[in-house]
Amino acid sequence: MNTTDQRICLWLVPAFGALLLLAFCIFPGFFPPLSPTLSAEEVAAFYRNHVGQIRASMIICNVCGVAFIPFFMVIVVQMQRMANPSRAFAYSYLSAAASGATLFALANLAWLIAAFRPERDPQLTMMLNDLAWMAFITPVGFILAQNLCLALGIYLDARPHPVFPRWVGHFNLATALLMTPGAFALMFMTGPLAWDGALAFWLRIGTYALYLGVMFFVVRAAINRQASEEGAAA
Amino acid sequence: MTGTSTAAARRLRATKVPVLTKTRNLDQWICWWSIPIFYSVFGLVFVYLTRLMPPPSPGHTTEQIISFIQLNATHLQIGIVVLSLSLGLASLSSGIIVVQMRRMQGVSPALAYAYLAALAVAALPGCLFCGFMFALAAFRPDRDPRLIVLLYDMGLLSFVGSLGCFVVQYMVFAIAIFLDEREIFPKWLGYMSIWGVVTELLAIPIWIFRSGPYAWNGLISFYLGTIIFVVWEFCLVVCLYKAIKAQPIDESLQGDDSLAIAR
Amino acid sequence: MHASFPVEERDILIPGRERETNQQIPGDPSIWVFVIGEMVAFSCYFAAYMWDRGQHHGLFLQAQRDLSQNVAALNTLVLLASSLFIALSVHATRAGDFAIASRFLTLGGTCGAAFVVSKAFEWSSKLAQGLTLGSNAFFMHYYMLTGVHLFHVLLGLVFLGILWRELNKGSPPRARLMEVGATYWHMVDFLWIIIFPLLYLMR
Repeated sequence: MNTTDQRICLWLVPAFGALLLLAFCIFPGFFPPLSPTLSAEEVAAFYRNHVGQIRASMIICNVCGVAFIPFFMVIVVQMQRMANPSRAFAYSYLSAAASGATLFALANLAWLIAAFRPERDPQLTMMLNDLAWMAFITPVGFILAQNLCLALGIYLDARPHPVFPRWVGHFNLATALLMTPGAFALMFMTGPLAWDGALAFWLRIGTYALYLGVMFFVVRAAINRQASEEGAAA
Repeated sequence: MTGTSTAAARRLRATKVPVLTKTRNLDQWICWWSIPIFYSVFGLVFVYLTRLMPPPSPGHTTEQIISFIQLNATHLQIGIVVLSLSLGLASLSSGIIVVQMRRMQGVSPALAYAYLAALAVAALPGCLFCGFMFALAAFRPDRDPRLIVLLYDMGLLSFVGSLGCFVVQYMVFAIAIFLDEREIFPKWLGYMSIWGVVTELLAIPIWIFRSGPYAWNGLISFYLGTIIFVVWEFCLVVCLYKAIKAQPIDESLQGDDSLAIAR
Repeated sequence: MHASFPVEERDILIPGRERETNQQIPGDPSIWVFVIGEMVAFSCYFAAYMWDRGQHHGLFLQAQRDLSQNVAALNTLVLLASSLFIALSVHATRAGDFAIASRFLTLGGTCGAAFVVSKAFEWSSKLAQGLTLGSNAFFMHYYMLTGVHLFHVLLGLVFLGILWRELNKGSPPRARLMEVGATYWHMVDFLWIIIFPLLYLMR
C-alpha cells in the first residue's frame, strides 16, 4: 500500500490546524468565552460590535472545519491493518467521525447566520448564539465513540508488532473521559460546567487540541512503520 | 471483497497470529452489545426523561407548549445530556452491520458503505438536532414564547420528519439482502426493511397536519411507524446474533495479507 | 455469478417435466410473512380511515363526489387483468412453456404500468382542481391510501422485471422465485380491491 496519500492527509492536520488556531484566536468570543448569562441585548451588541472578526474567524472555520476528516480516515486505514477479528471498529470509527463533523459544521453555521444580520431581533440572535455554543461544546458523544473504537481496536490488536502502541489506547480513553463535562453545558449557565466554564470549555478544547497534536505524531509513526514493513517485504 | 482468494485464504490460515481473547469475534460482539444498550438508553432518554416519545401534540397552544417544557425542564435537560454522551454508540451498530454486509456474496461493498453513510448523516438531523432544540427551549425560561414554539416545531418536525436518510438505510439493506447469495440475513428481514421504507412514506403528512392520524403524534405516522421500527430493530438484533455466531472461523481477519507476507 | 448455496433439484425446471409439489405453500415463507404484515399494516390504515369517516361523515360524502368512480372501476379491471396474466404466467412456467410465460408476464406488467399511468392522471386532475393532501381529512386519506398502494405497485413492477429476467436468462427459471413474485403481485391487487370500495363506492 502506498503511504504517500496517507502522509498528505496527515500533514493536513498542522496545515489546517494552524488556520483553525488562527480563527480561534481571532474570534472575539473565545478569549474569554462568551458568558451564557448575557442578556439578549448584550449578545446582539457583541455581534454588532465585532461583526467583522466573527465573520472572518467563522468563515475560516467553515472552510477548514471538516479538514480533519482525511486524517481520521488515515486512522481508519491503520485500524484496518490491525489484527482484529474483523473491521467492525474501523467502520464504526468512520461513522462516528462523519457524524461528529456535521456538528462542528452546524455550530459554525449558527455563528455565521447570527452575524449575517446583526440588526436582527436580539432574541433571535441570542437563540442562534445559544445554538452555536451548544452544538460546539456539548455533543461529545461522537468523539467518545471514535476514541472508544480506536482504543478497543488497539487492545484487540493481535499483531506481534501492533499498529499503535498500547498507551495510545489509554490516551484515547483518557481524552474521551476528560471531554465528557462538555455535555453538561446545556444545563448550566454559570460555573465550571457552563459553556464558558473551566471544565466544559477550557478542559474540553485544550484536551482536544492536545489530542490532535499527540495523534499527529502517533499516526506519523504508524505510517512510517507501515512503510518499513512493506519495504522489507517487497 | 470479503471472500479472499483461495491462495490468500490458505496463507491467512497458515499464519500463526496469536488470538488475544478466548471469545471469537470479540470486536463484533462488543458492537452487537452496543445495540441493545444504545436502544435502552434511547428509550430511557426519549420516553422517560424527555417525554418526547410519544410526542406532545402539534396542536398544542403556546401556553401548553411552554408549560410542557417548563414543567419538564430538568428531566429534559438531563435526558439531552445523556443523549449527547451516548449517541456515538449508534456508530458501533453501523460498524457491525457493515462487517456482515461485506460478507455477502454477489453484493458490492457499496451498499454496506451506503448504509453506514446514511446513518452517519441521520445522527444530526434525525436525532441530535431535536435534542438541541429542546435544550435551547429549556435553557432560558424567559425566552420569547414565539421562539419557544419555533424550537418546539423544529425539534419534533426534525425528529419525526427526517425521512430520506432512513429510506436510504432500509432500501440499501433490503436490496443487499435480496441480492445476497449466502443468505447472511434471512430474506424476510429484507421484506421487513421494505416496511421500514413504507413507515417513512407514512410520515410524509406530518409536515402538513397538526392533528389526526398523520400528524407527528398520529396513530399512523408515529405509533404504527414506531412499532414497526421496534419490531424491525429487534429482528435485526436477533439476525445479527445468528450471523455472527454462524460465521466460519477462517473468515476472521487477523491482520491483512501483508502480515502473512512479512512472515 | 454462481450460486454458493445448494440449489434444490426441484427448483430447476426441466422443459416438459412437471415440478414436484411436495411443498405445502407456494413461494417462500418469507413472502407470506411480508404479505401478512402488510395486511396488518393496511388494516390499521383502513381503520384510521373508517374512524375519521365516522367523525366527519358529511364531509367525506361530499368530498367523495369529486372522485371519478368510472376511472377507478377501470383501474380495478386493469389490475384484475394483470393478476390474471401473472397467474397464467406462473402456470405456464410450471408447465415448462417459458416463452408463453414470459409473454403473459409482459402483459401483466403492461397492465400494472397502465394502472400507474392512470393513477398519475387521476392525481394530476385532482391537483389541478386544487385538491391536495392538505385540503381536508378525506383527501388526506385518499392520497395516503392510494399513494402507499402506488408505492407497492411500483415495487411490484420492479419485481415483475426481475421475474422477466429470470424467464429470459437462458437457463431454467427458479419456480419459487416466480411464485414469490406472483404472490406479491396478487397481494397488491387484493389491497386495491379493498381500497376501491372504501374510497370510491362506500356511501
